[in-house]
Amino acid sequence: MASRVILKKPLELGKILFRNQSTMSAFEIQHKTPLIKKVAAIPVALYGGRHAVTMLPGGGIGPELMGYVREVFKYAGAPVDFEVVEIGDENTDLEYALTSIKRNGVAIKGNIETKSESASVVSRNVAIRNELDLFVNVLHCKSYPGVPARQKDIDIVIIRQNTEGEYAMLEHESVDGVIESMKVVTTSNSDRVARFAFEYAKKNGRKKVTTIHKANIMKLSDGLFLETSKRIAKDYPEIEHNDMIIDNCCMQLVSKPHQFDVMIMTNLYGSIVSNVVCGLIGGAGLLSGKNYGDHYAIFEPGTRNTGTAIAGKNIANPIAMLSASVAMLKHLGHTQHAELIQRAIEKTICEEKIHTPDLGGTAKSTDVVQRIIDNILQADIRPW
Amino acid sequence: MANFTKSFLNNISRTLPRLRKFFDQLTDKKNTAETEFSSASKRAVGSRLYSSEVKKCTIIPGDGIGPEISAAVQKIFAAAKVPIEWESVDVTPVRGPDGKFGIPQSAIDSVNRNKIGLKGPLMTPVGKGHRSLNLALRKEFNLYANVRPCRSLEGYKTLYDHVDVVTIRENTEGEYSGIEHEIVDGVVQSIKLITEDASRRVAEFAFQYTKENKRHKVTAVHKANIMRMSDGLFLRCCRDMAEKYPDVKFEEKYLDTVCLNMVQDPTQYDVLVMPNLYGDILSDMCAGLVGGLGLTPSGNIGLNGALFESVHGTAPDIAGKDLANPTALLLSAVMMLRYMNLNKHADIIESSCFATIKEAKFLTGDLGGKAKCSEFTNAICEKIAAASP
Repeated sequence: MASRVILKKPLELGKILFRNQSTMSAFEIQHKTPLIKKVAAIPVALYGGRHAVTMLPGGGIGPELMGYVREVFKYAGAPVDFEVVEIGDENTDLEYALTSIKRNGVAIKGNIETKSESASVVSRNVAIRNELDLFVNVLHCKSYPGVPARQKDIDIVIIRQNTEGEYAMLEHESVDGVIESMKVVTTSNSDRVARFAFEYAKKNGRKKVTTIHKANIMKLSDGLFLETSKRIAKDYPEIEHNDMIIDNCCMQLVSKPHQFDVMIMTNLYGSIVSNVVCGLIGGAGLLSGKNYGDHYAIFEPGTRNTGTAIAGKNIANPIAMLSASVAMLKHLGHTQHAELIQRAIEKTICEEKIHTPDLGGTAKSTDVVQRIIDNILQADIRPW
Repeated sequence: MANFTKSFLNNISRTLPRLRKFFDQLTDKKNTAETEFSSASKRAVGSRLYSSEVKKCTIIPGDGIGPEISAAVQKIFAAAKVPIEWESVDVTPVRGPDGKFGIPQSAIDSVNRNKIGLKGPLMTPVGKGHRSLNLALRKEFNLYANVRPCRSLEGYKTLYDHVDVVTIRENTEGEYSGIEHEIVDGVVQSIKLITEDASRRVAEFAFQYTKENKRHKVTAVHKANIMRMSDGLFLRCCRDMAEKYPDVKFEEKYLDTVCLNMVQDPTQYDVLVMPNLYGDILSDMCAGLVGGLGLTPSGNIGLNGALFESVHGTAPDIAGKDLANPTALLLSAVMMLRYMNLNKHADIIESSCFATIKEAKFLTGDLGGKAKCSEFTNAICEKIAAASP
């Protein structure tokens, strides 16, 4: 039988075998040694030159934004087909969505509302991230020049641990009126995130990586995270590494944000810092976040807002979702289409200054999308 | 003769503890009044004071610039003729009889006696195995709520104008319970504890504070979409308390939304109440909005008293050079006066301080000026002398 094995820990396996060699039969060796499966890379679904991508509209403003993405792709000629999956509260819906994402490898999603408030139903967004092991979330916060904002020329990359930390969702009521919630930090996940961060910094020519933590209070958990990043920083001597406590970091962000370049942190702090930086740049409607795992990637608006208050009123800002779609195209390798749409977005926002109400303008979402489509059609270079 | 009966009774009660308790109850009525002090809304400490009576307060000068700014505050208070007698204590840890470092008992007794304290910046020495002083004080007086009002100062321009936010944070439990362990090699678990009692106490304090200071809205900041049970409990306590105060508006917002909106438009928030970790981060962020920790007052309210402090560092590089800015400690002292219901004096001192900063003639180095600490203090004293009748 062709046993496909990639030995993750050859030394340990060897030790077990050598220790038991005298007593283990061939049968035992085959069945009692730990089963290590080969993990083959699932091919990104490419049928007839067109990629298939799962689309999870989510709730609130999700569905309308997805409609805009489709329209823009139609006019840009991007070779992407969308497979729409709706998620309700049933576990079967969730499983179907996960199978679809595993099949396609890439997904674009809005924020999914979990209607039930009971503690046994895990938040749908968290469930998707945990099941697919999307261990890192990258948020590249770049200021748009034409958008009114308190701070100008910000260029910060926020890399946040996406699966564990405070979002482990392990809670119990030990005594009546006393609730314990666990925050889990593991070496392997911290390791992966730190390595991803430094590789990202190296690939994109970034000079400084800052680890954000609260290790003076949570000595073991954040201490572990901090030590792991310091350890990995030693492998990259050309990149400067320092660390900062989260309270000080928030204070510095509101007064001097230009001192930060790449920031690594755990889940909750990532949520806080990404929202603060999005606020500094101009709003929740501008940035997109990329969730990466070993095999899958999911793209979504940066601040995970459902926007139920503005759903259906045609005032939602479509830029975040469109940026997410551009990131997705880059990930799939369609760089020309990605650049085309990106340039159209920048032209609309920065030069023509067509802004939705959350940025202080008066345009409707459909106006913004129409302008972007016009810019695409007028562009000098088109792939077809 | 009276001596004989007293010593006779003493001897009997020493051997029979129940009898002693009975005698204590008879003779020491003041003690019982103090032990009844249980909920925030009673605030027996504040209401026991009459403005004509001179009240003793403990002042902990601290390290670095601490002594200078404490002296400045005391001078200003003397100029305003505030009926307070200061009792200065030193909290440098000393080696106790059991060999462990701890706060000297005299300091603890002083604060226990006076119930109100003002603390300057303390330097926490690294290593040497002594407990954090802040933690020790917090446990000693059961300080359950930390209040930090952040207001834009008119003379000091930041990117944000008209900020007027108060962050009230739970001070004892939450993520800072300190319960951590390594279950398996490479996996660390930290426990966040939320109890109904603590949440209810801080919620009640928040609404009480809002009502007394004539504020309009309380916002509960939480993350109950992720931490359903823990933040859910906190939220429930806040909601229950909101029903008891119908004239105060109550809303609940997610932490992400609050962060996002706070950075764009801080004027939409009034009073924020939240568990420990979010409170720590948000209060520091709000301090950053108005100009940093050097200008923000902070107060810790407890069951057995209150401790007001300045949250900035000891600034050892400018210690002793008369360059320090006493604003943070001064505003904390003003908070202390309001807690003691000495509102008239509080208003005079506060307005003089704001007027001095607005005038911008005597500003210390961190505010962009060149004046010395003593000049700044004198300017405030002059304004107080002009303002008081």
